[in-house]
Amino acid sequence: MAERTGVIHDIGYRGYDGPREGTGALALTLYVTGLRHAFGLGRSGRSKVLPFLLLGLGVVPAVIVVGVVTMVRLNSLPVSYAAYLGQIQMLVTLFAAAQAPVLFSRDLRHRSIVLYLARPLPPALFALTRWASLASAILVFTLLPTLVLYGGGLLAGLDTGDETPVFLRSVALQLMLAALLAGITGLISSVALRRGFAVVASILALIVVAGVVLIVQEIAAYEGIEAVGEIAGLFSPWALHNGLAQAWEAGGRSTIVLTDAWAWTYLATALVVCAACLALLVRRFVKVGSR
Amino acid sequence: MNATIVKLALQALLGRRRFWLLLGLPLALIGLTVLISSLSSDGEAAWPMVSFLGYPLVLPLVAILAASSVLGPEVDDGSIVYLLSKPVSRHVIAVSKWVVAWTATVGVGSLGVLAAALIAGGGDRALAWWIAALVAGTTYSALFLALSAFTRHAVVAGLIFVLIWEGLAGGFLSGVAWLSVGQWGIRVGHEISSLLDDPANLPWAVIASLVVTIGGVWFAGDRLRSFALTEDE
Repeated sequence: MAERTGVIHDIGYRGYDGPREGTGALALTLYVTGLRHAFGLGRSGRSKVLPFLLLGLGVVPAVIVVGVVTMVRLNSLPVSYAAYLGQIQMLVTLFAAAQAPVLFSRDLRHRSIVLYLARPLPPALFALTRWASLASAILVFTLLPTLVLYGGGLLAGLDTGDETPVFLRSVALQLMLAALLAGITGLISSVALRRGFAVVASILALIVVAGVVLIVQEIAAYEGIEAVGEIAGLFSPWALHNGLAQAWEAGGRSTIVLTDAWAWTYLATALVVCAACLALLVRRFVKVGSR
Repeated sequence: MNATIVKLALQALLGRRRFWLLLGLPLALIGLTVLISSLSSDGEAAWPMVSFLGYPLVLPLVAILAASSVLGPEVDDGSIVYLLSKPVSRHVIAVSKWVVAWTATVGVGSLGVLAAALIAGGGDRALAWWIAALVAGTTYSALFLALSAFTRHAVVAGLIFVLIWEGLAGGFLSGVAWLSVGQWGIRVGHEISSLLDDPANLPWAVIASLVVTIGGVWFAGDRLRSFALTEDE
């Protein structure tokens, strides 16, 4: 064999010796991308239609309410913050159900999850980041109309001292609601990978169950057996939200009136359900990541 | 109609997990109706299960699931090309698929509504709800089949139509009844029992239901004739 005469030319490639960002920066980027994707930002034009259509439908009535307050010179909002969310619960749920598959199903279905997990980002953190993105998106969705109500109401001359505490309590409840909805819809769409299937299952778990709970509560109130209505409320995130909003004066309406002990039970249930959803989500992604 | 396509569509409908969701919905409705009519002393108490849950929610959900499972998965994974490349008229494909979706909707959804209505009290009113569910189920299945052929977001679009348009807007604006599949069915049912509402008028309800049904199936076939495979997610 002849002596090798080739040389390796130095054509200027260099290694990277700049600062390297840690897992935190990875998670933050993933969080921001997820939040943008939930609204279709950074995706095709067609994927922007649905979230913004729903968002528009959710905000327009709030603008109308503010208009009414301005024209008629009311001294309080005809529909207060939490009660308004109760009115648009269909839109919020539909948004959560339709956008959860965007964040949770696509990576699993197309197996692009292995590319994410090839980075130094643990699967558990991936799942939690996705959940945080969806929860934030839902929070933005609910916060926007209530902000319109609050800001518009104040501009129309409502009393700041009256409105602010109610508004802040409503925001706290929205945090709980967003965490719950994101946990439930996220879990469903990480298991049911077909988009349509996941959406219908989420709608079933949230809207149909909420409808059943409402009917049971009305009947319980009519029959005078409050305990049944209070227990029924534990099964639906919306009943939890509406019940607490009524009990803690966040401007909510609910068929049932919660006593103190029940209110804390509702809050505890919300936290437990949310934690359970997160644990199952993490388990699901850890299992997928280990394959 | 083409027997082979009907068979394939049936397999797509029955062979998957979503069939259990399809069957579970009416079963849950019936179970809850039993529970409520046994819990409550008032004889009328279980009717809201039919009028607020079974008819406006469970029936359209069954129709959406049925219509999107006969067409949706094939469109999703692209295997519809193999079906479309056969020398079978696209309209025949659409009609065959609609027959399967319609059978499932009417069989599972309408019978579920009927069963719930019979448990809630029975009589003419139950029959009326059943007729309403038959009319609406037929129209819904054609409408949602057309949606499935039109867009990949058929499920969400269908849900928006049912929940936001018919449910939310229909609750505020009475005029929505003229453009609401569910209300047309109720109007037809009103002929049998006056306990059902009386929105719109009968000829309109019947003609509109027919037009949407026939138009929907025809549109689905027409969309299949000019099908774009490279639609984005």
